[in-house]
Amino acid sequence: MNQRSRWWSELLVHAALLVAVAFALYPVLWVVSLALSPGGTPSPRAIPLPTAVSLDNFRAVLGTHDTAGRWIFGRQLFNSVAVALCTAAASVALATPSAYALARMRFVGERGGMRVLLATQMFPGVATAVPLYVILDGLKLLDTRAGLVLVYATTALPFAMFQLRGAFEAIPRELEEAAMVDGATRWQAFVKVILPAARPAIAVTMLFAFMSAWNEFILAATFLSHEEAFTLPVALQRYVGEHDAQWGRFAAGAMIVSVPVMAVFYAVQRHLVGGLTAGSVKG
Amino acid sequence: MAAVTLRGIRKKLGTAPILRGIDLAIAHGEFTVLVGPSGCGKSTLLRTVAGLEEPDEGTIHLDDRDVTRAAPRDRDIAMVFQSYALYPHLTVRENLGFGLAIRGTAKTDIDVRVAEVSRMLNIEALLDRYPREMSGGQRQRVAMGRAIARRPAVFLFDEPLSNLDAALRSQVRVEIKRLHAGLGATMLYVTHDQVEAMTLADRLVVLRAGAVEQQGPPLEVYERPASRFVAAFLGSPAMNFVTAVMGADGATATAEGLRLAVRPALPGSKVLLGVRPHDVVPADDGGIALRVDVVEPMGFEAYAHGTVGGEPFVARLDGSVALPKPGDLLRLTVPKRAVHRFDPETERALSEEPG
Amino acid sequence: MRAALFALALGLHGAVAGAQHLSLWHAYHGVEQQALDEVLATWRRAHPGATLDVLALPFEAYASKLESAIPRDHGPDVFIDAHERLSSYRSLGLVAPLAPTNGVLADRFDETAVRALSVDGELYAMPLSVKCAALFINPALVPLLPSTLETIEGMRATLPAGVFPLVYESQSAYYHAALLHAYGGEMLDARGRYGFVGPAAERSVARVIAMTRGRVIPDEASGALVTQLFSTGRAATAISGPWLAADLEGRIEFRVIPLPTVRDAGGHAMQPYATVEGAFVSSRAHDLGAAAALAEALTDVPAAVVRARVGRQVVATRAAWGDETGLSQDPVLAIFRAAAASARPMPVHPHMRAVFEPARQAILRALRGDRSVRDALVEGKRRFDDVTRPLPPRRDATMVLLALGLAAMGLATTAVRRAKDPDFRLALKRSLPAYAWVAHAALTLALLVVVPLVLGAATSFYAQQDGRSYFVGLANYWDILTARGGPIFGAGSFYRVLGVTVLWTAANITLHVGLGVGLALLLSRPLLRMKALYRVLLIVPWAVPSYVTALAWRGMFHRQFGAVNALLGVVGVEPVSWFARFSTAFAANVTTNVWLGFPFMMVVTLGALAGIPKDLYEAAAVDGADAWQRFWKVTVPMLRPAMGPAVAMGAVWTFNQFNVVFLVSGGEPDGDTDILVSEAYRWAFTRQAQYGYASAYAVLIFLMLLLVTRRRGAEAA
Repeated sequence: MNQRSRWWSELLVHAALLVAVAFALYPVLWVVSLALSPGGTPSPRAIPLPTAVSLDNFRAVLGTHDTAGRWIFGRQLFNSVAVALCTAAASVALATPSAYALARMRFVGERGGMRVLLATQMFPGVATAVPLYVILDGLKLLDTRAGLVLVYATTALPFAMFQLRGAFEAIPRELEEAAMVDGATRWQAFVKVILPAARPAIAVTMLFAFMSAWNEFILAATFLSHEEAFTLPVALQRYVGEHDAQWGRFAAGAMIVSVPVMAVFYAVQRHLVGGLTAGSVKG
Repeated sequence: MAAVTLRGIRKKLGTAPILRGIDLAIAHGEFTVLVGPSGCGKSTLLRTVAGLEEPDEGTIHLDDRDVTRAAPRDRDIAMVFQSYALYPHLTVRENLGFGLAIRGTAKTDIDVRVAEVSRMLNIEALLDRYPREMSGGQRQRVAMGRAIARRPAVFLFDEPLSNLDAALRSQVRVEIKRLHAGLGATMLYVTHDQVEAMTLADRLVVLRAGAVEQQGPPLEVYERPASRFVAAFLGSPAMNFVTAVMGADGATATAEGLRLAVRPALPGSKVLLGVRPHDVVPADDGGIALRVDVVEPMGFEAYAHGTVGGEPFVARLDGSVALPKPGDLLRLTVPKRAVHRFDPETERALSEEPG
Repeated sequence: MRAALFALALGLHGAVAGAQHLSLWHAYHGVEQQALDEVLATWRRAHPGATLDVLALPFEAYASKLESAIPRDHGPDVFIDAHERLSSYRSLGLVAPLAPTNGVLADRFDETAVRALSVDGELYAMPLSVKCAALFINPALVPLLPSTLETIEGMRATLPAGVFPLVYESQSAYYHAALLHAYGGEMLDARGRYGFVGPAAERSVARVIAMTRGRVIPDEASGALVTQLFSTGRAATAISGPWLAADLEGRIEFRVIPLPTVRDAGGHAMQPYATVEGAFVSSRAHDLGAAAALAEALTDVPAAVVRARVGRQVVATRAAWGDETGLSQDPVLAIFRAAAASARPMPVHPHMRAVFEPARQAILRALRGDRSVRDALVEGKRRFDDVTRPLPPRRDATMVLLALGLAAMGLATTAVRRAKDPDFRLALKRSLPAYAWVAHAALTLALLVVVPLVLGAATSFYAQQDGRSYFVGLANYWDILTARGGPIFGAGSFYRVLGVTVLWTAANITLHVGLGVGLALLLSRPLLRMKALYRVLLIVPWAVPSYVTALAWRGMFHRQFGAVNALLGVVGVEPVSWFARFSTAFAANVTTNVWLGFPFMMVVTLGALAGIPKDLYEAAAVDGADAWQRFWKVTVPMLRPAMGPAVAMGAVWTFNQFNVVFLVSGGEPDGDTDILVSEAYRWAFTRQAQYGYASAYAVLIFLMLLLVTRRRGAEAA
């Protein structure tokens, strides 16, 4: 009886998980099948498998050229990669020292600063787009990738700071004290000990910044006005406009956009839970 | 090697005083142990010497150099942490060489020094492991090795053995002692464990609530505790205390079958008598009456717990004789020289012999 | 100056010396884009020294992008747009006049086109093409050309089942206008007042309802469906513009005739809107002459012929219709040209932009039958009036400035007093090293997060007109909090949207946490097989870009080709019009957002579960707790501290989750599923650029979230 009921409960668990997996994968498979189907309009099918496989959509998207005959897809791919990588690097570079100070030092304005940081997360971006536009214009960074990186990096900054502050707080204080007693300055202790010890958290924070930049299109569409400066999501938007929906092209483009970010995500995902400091302290 | 001199160290955490004026002079090559219950300020004092905390008042000198405001790295000290604080992303080899590398020591010199230290501590086989791949005892050794490799003027230890199991602890204790003998370095060691304190120290400093309660060679402190606090803190099981009342002659105090000549005082006034469990001798008759309720046989010895005149009392008995049973009344005598006398008000020790 | 321009535009553009750098924006796609590209390629060959940047933008974002970019010198030199936008561009000072309306240049184009693109005797754009709708006929299904709408309706009896007599975007105000005009109504009168109410409007809408109920036309046809049904022979006729011809050529035989008359409307013909597209020259063009020359080059005869042949445009260049080009022999273009001549030019009043959405929603409401036709139309007018309501009056800002000044002085005095406090000075001195660590982040944050936030919040005290702002005090807040004078829980009122937002947040968080915790518990069963595989597959939704999946879900909820309806079809459920009803549209949004968000909660829970010591469970088991009690007495209390911040953060994000609502339901039906942020977005970017009003929404959202999180924080402490 016991044996049987365990068998049944095991079966039920797997059934539930399989249903969840189906739910998780269905839209993705739908996009894949759409991308591989020849022709633009999707067919109403319950099972997301293409009836015929063709790479036309991919060819069309990958081979996009602008009116001057330049390979605009490659240019936009480069933009996306450059902007996302720079955003990840810039936001983490900006966030780490300040998150460290917030985690380890007591200073006047610390609590107020944290409150402001938290509050910024509650103000809807809709109302800041226009002032940002004006500020970027004033900085002569409108319609540049650098301006976009700056905006993305600062938008990602509060979250990155929360995340890293938490990670730094979890690192035992003794580590940097040991380094300082060993002859390191505070900065050296930070760079040589704290940062490496926080590598998983930094990787995760970079991942989030990378993903937010890689996926963003509203601000990019607002700030950029050169096709050569566009990022892929902005270009992709055009395939599903109000008057003309090229779902096949969109799906192919969506896959091209998704695959790199998924690759990065899966490379870092094991760090989403847990960390590396386990073992350095106590037995 | 250097001498460490602390003068008038005071520190507050918010409004709560942590250190209330500490003066301490540690000689070259001396092994000094700071001991006290948790919260007495011993770790804060150690961290102040390390430069990890800044005192509100007072000065710290290494030899003649005032390092009160100097950064830790400018003090030429090394520290072994309770948690070992090994760098998790570095191998043992890199951990050992970290302090040297950061001071710009040449790579070849570092290699030599690391090899030397790992030989000394017998951790050569571990050099390419990461901290997470080692046992607690191995990590502890690496932590010490990291301090030794630097050849600092002063070693600081912050309860370095408290995360080890009992057997390992006594083994490492001996090694530390041997190390001190070998290196001849100035060492400042913080612990709450009185066995470590007694066995390691050249000089024992007992801290209480941010002030030095007593300092001196360990045996001297053990034998002549300056206060009830020190007396109770050192020794295991702890010292027994019995309140005695001065007799009509003003020079003899009586308590539960214990009669003792003390410094003259008013008849009827009280005096606190302290007796270590090891100093009692079973007797057939007379002396103190211990009502036994628990007996702990340890093999070669045994402890009889019970009450004397309503107050808890422990007696050490020889393990080879017949042990009492709970409920028995045990008669004990105490040699006069083994009785410590304390003022019940101030809890300071009273001079040994009637003056 | 104008003389110079005029001379250049007459054909001297080839003579402009030196390296030119020009940019051109358009919102074309498909064959029209292809035609434009061809024309521009010719231009490039003729101007080897010049560089030309071309930017194709999505139609939805086109106008607002022009309006923000041009005043800051980031706009194009030349842009292509329709004539009805001219008056608003002109009032914003975005466009430069090109020539007098009665000049030589203007004579080269069709008169209607020139008139549409002129204001006060000045031509503001080089006329490119005229667009209007006409009737496409499938001769295989319709042997006799129908001349009345009633004839087409009558075909219901003879056509096979599954073939519609007519297909067109019946809910679109643009196409409906043709029918409305037949009944003698108009969408917007000459003074900019909403006209889609009253008897004519009611009759026209009733007619659409009757045709839909009688299966004469399909329900909720999109542009894609029109193409699909007609090109596959499942619709006998279709109403559409010349662009449909490009999709049909080579796929199916078809004919084009002008729109039919409506016998029920006294025999008046359906009169479509005509829109005239022109090449505008930005007032901020770097070189006005060169820009004008480029605009002109798009309209010369060879260019016009390419646009007509390839792009299927009814070009406005007269000479292009001469015999030698053969355009007038093209049956499709010729019919459209004739139809355009009798079409009604779309009104140029700035309010025209505000007509389409309320009118569309009114038709949809009436079609859905949840309101009477009259009520639906009146509601539409109310929405229009809401959007175009007179801006609040200008207020005197002196008092506010005075108050601000006093507050600043107060702050300054406190600051000085504090600075004199020795304890504070000591604390400040001790803080100096820490400041070195935070300064750069603080500065960047201040500049790019805090300043925009403050400026954005300050905007809420202003109203915008013609690109200028003026102070209105608390009027925006007053309007929002009084539901703009409408019923407190009326459609689009702040309180109703707030209710939807709260419901949205609660539903999402409940499902996120329920699903996330449930799956995490299953995954953390010690003996589970394939644990790692399940985990990797279950976090897929997190890894895919959210806008991709949001759009994919919108596609999956599509009525015709969506996978969800296909799945339901397998179990025999009729296709559901997901975005036609609040309940289903809301469910679609929630499904999408739950899909996006559950992996995060799952991973957080897995982390938290790993942190619960095993011996707690053992202790509980020894104490006699069963599995259920262990869950409630051990797991839940132990999860709570770790999950608390994640749930709180998740709630804030969900409350402001713009992407899903905007991309999946887009607020359908009729803004009912809009949450506060998407409502704010509409006021800022799709409703007459009322930034101040949108900012007031944003500030209210901010204050509410701050209040709620503060209160919760206080409770926790």
